[in-house]
Amino acid sequence: MPRAISVIVNGCLLLGVVSAGALRATDIEGTVVIKRKLTKPRVTAPASAYERGVAVDLASGPVLDPLSFERSRVVVYLDGQFPSIPTTAVLEQKNRQFVTDTLVVPAGSTVSFPNRDPIFHNVFSLSKPKTFDLGNYPKDHTRTVDFDKPGIVFVNCHLHPNMSAAIVVSPNQWATKADGAGHFTLLDVPPGSYTIVAWHRTAGFFRHTVKVGKDHAGAVEFIIPLDESGDPKVLARR
Amino acid sequence: MRFATRTFLWSFVPFVLLLLGSFWAIQKLVEHTVRDGLRSSLRQTHVSVARVHAHSELQNSRFLKILGENATLKAGLQLLLAAPKSSDAQRTVEDQLREICEKLGFDFLLVSNPDGAALAGVMRVGEQLVGMDIARIQPPQQGFATVGERSYQVVSTPIDQGDANIGTLSVGEPFDFSEFTTPAVLTHHGKVLKSSIPGIPAEDVEAALKACRDRSECEVRLRGETYISLPMDSISFGQGYVLRSLQSIDAAGGPVQGILANVFGIAGFGALLATAIISVLSSQSIVRPINGVVAHLRESEGTGLLPEFHDRKPASIQEIRDLTESFNRAASAIREGRESLHRAYVEFVGSLASALDARDRYTAGHSRRVSELSCAIARAMNLGATDLDIVKIGALLHDIGKIGIADSVLQKPGKLTNEEFALIQQHPTIGRRILEGVNGFQDYLSIVELHHEDWNGSGYPWGLRGDATPLPARIVHVADAYDAMTSDRPYRRGMSGEQAIRVLQQNTGTQFDPAIVPVLTRVVDLSQELSGGAAAPTGPSRVHVLPRAVNDPRDV
Repeated sequence: MPRAISVIVNGCLLLGVVSAGALRATDIEGTVVIKRKLTKPRVTAPASAYERGVAVDLASGPVLDPLSFERSRVVVYLDGQFPSIPTTAVLEQKNRQFVTDTLVVPAGSTVSFPNRDPIFHNVFSLSKPKTFDLGNYPKDHTRTVDFDKPGIVFVNCHLHPNMSAAIVVSPNQWATKADGAGHFTLLDVPPGSYTIVAWHRTAGFFRHTVKVGKDHAGAVEFIIPLDESGDPKVLARR
Repeated sequence: MRFATRTFLWSFVPFVLLLLGSFWAIQKLVEHTVRDGLRSSLRQTHVSVARVHAHSELQNSRFLKILGENATLKAGLQLLLAAPKSSDAQRTVEDQLREICEKLGFDFLLVSNPDGAALAGVMRVGEQLVGMDIARIQPPQQGFATVGERSYQVVSTPIDQGDANIGTLSVGEPFDFSEFTTPAVLTHHGKVLKSSIPGIPAEDVEAALKACRDRSECEVRLRGETYISLPMDSISFGQGYVLRSLQSIDAAGGPVQGILANVFGIAGFGALLATAIISVLSSQSIVRPINGVVAHLRESEGTGLLPEFHDRKPASIQEIRDLTESFNRAASAIREGRESLHRAYVEFVGSLASALDARDRYTAGHSRRVSELSCAIARAMNLGATDLDIVKIGALLHDIGKIGIADSVLQKPGKLTNEEFALIQQHPTIGRRILEGVNGFQDYLSIVELHHEDWNGSGYPWGLRGDATPLPARIVHVADAYDAMTSDRPYRRGMSGEQAIRVLQQNTGTQFDPAIVPVLTRVVDLSQELSGGAAAPTGPSRVHVLPRAVNDPRDV
């Protein structure tokens, strides 16, 4: 049995029809396979419980496939400064959690933090790319933050130390999260050689070089491993 | 009250009182000991509880010190201080407190501002942690807090931000009496918050405890049982809170009291019985000899005699012996005096009679002889000593009235005239008159006055018939006639005894009592036998047959 590290990245070449004289953009597809639980999802009672005042049962929660959960938290983006297309995104505070706990936005995007709980929340970050403190605000209030610099911004709540989210500010628009099965697709990547980065909150960064040709993209395979010594490593088969 | 009763009571009652007093004192001593024991056991409980309490307080305060440094809680408290009216803010902090409670297993957690006003808190109700109605809570820094029906023991710690105090965190544990080995009651301003006395409702306990002043030991009655109640003063529970532990005196003292009651019952009954018997015996031993003396004195009082004590068994009490001996000596002296007086009296009467008889040589010794003969007859007729005495003296005096008759009449040798006869016939009446004025002669008056009354009523002075004349007078009548007939006179010779008896017998039933003459006959016969038939100066020549036994009044 291969160790957790054996990841096969199948470059899936998509042949696109491009207009004459122009490089055809190609999608990069890949798979992340994680065969080992990396984090322990924390289950939090729904916020409505606080209004009703029922006792919180911490022992039970939504049943998730832990590996699927891990895979869905892996962010994949292309390294390098390219023109970015800023967007707006929403990071809700609901049931004493940030929803979602891993957000990907291109640099220059604006993220709003609406409070959906009947209690106060506070959003702050001490991360290098963006330091801010939005203060305490109650239900249905919101604050927004612009993220100009790429990087990983961890967001927390002063009032609820267990609340935490990571905003991955990608340097360009080619950024996405893997799905539960570990598949990801970066659409319309111009031909060229790129460093493709996978990031997992616990496991860290994983890098690989990928070449995008005129009509194909290199197959990318990531392993999100922790070797026996506990150091995260990226092993590329090809 | 009788002497015996009094003696009994004086010996019995003091002992009973002494016995009851001893029982009462023992009872009190036992009660006192039981009470002291309970008191010390309650104090011991208090010491143990205080020790446990201090230990748990120390532990809680360590926990709290750490909790007080919780940054999240500080953030929440600051949020609350910044928006004191916001229910969202309150809910936020409640949420934080709830999480702490869940993690650390607390039942009561509360934050208050630096002024001590409650800001937010949660408490466990059943399985749930619910928010408190903080408007109604005044949390203490230390001691008890009451929320609704629940009482908590509260420990607090300050929450500081930098150098500034931003509030207080209080943690409470539900208060129960698990540390108490005795029943206990928690009150707040006299109202019972919690009670662990089995089977007695809180209202009853509250009513009973009203009699107790705050923070002082007292005794209360609950459902007919007496409890000793000791407030716990080694721990401060906050304003108005008093924690009392109780112990039933009755339950603790009951078995001992039961044993005591049995012992007292048996011992008391036995002692009382013994005392009663001893008292009866001792009173009897005192009373009996005295009663004997009293009865003897009463008898002496009734009879006028003073017989001496001649108990077979001398009295056991020295005083009583002395008393009876004194009495005997006095009685003997009195009797001797009386006898001597009687002798003198008899001698006096004898002298009087002798003086009378001496007037005439013919009648010399008449009175004495009549007296002796009468006494002999009376003795033969079984008369009593008193009657004998009366007969003896009365016979000596029977002719005393002749003092008043002139010698010329009495000693006249010839025949008496009717006047002279009548004169002589007055001598009984005269005799009576002489003696009736003299004290002590009343008993003899009938003999003096009536010794000439005849059986058939033909005598003088009154002509009484038969039994109307008293027996002593009738006896003297017969004896007088006999002596007169057998004596010489100036006008005749005395007849012989046989003749005289014959005359007497001839006149029996007419002149003389028919019962007495035969007795005289027997008495005379007996005396003649004794004296060899020379009792009377007799001679046939001197015998006269008389129609009556005595026909000359001078004879008798």
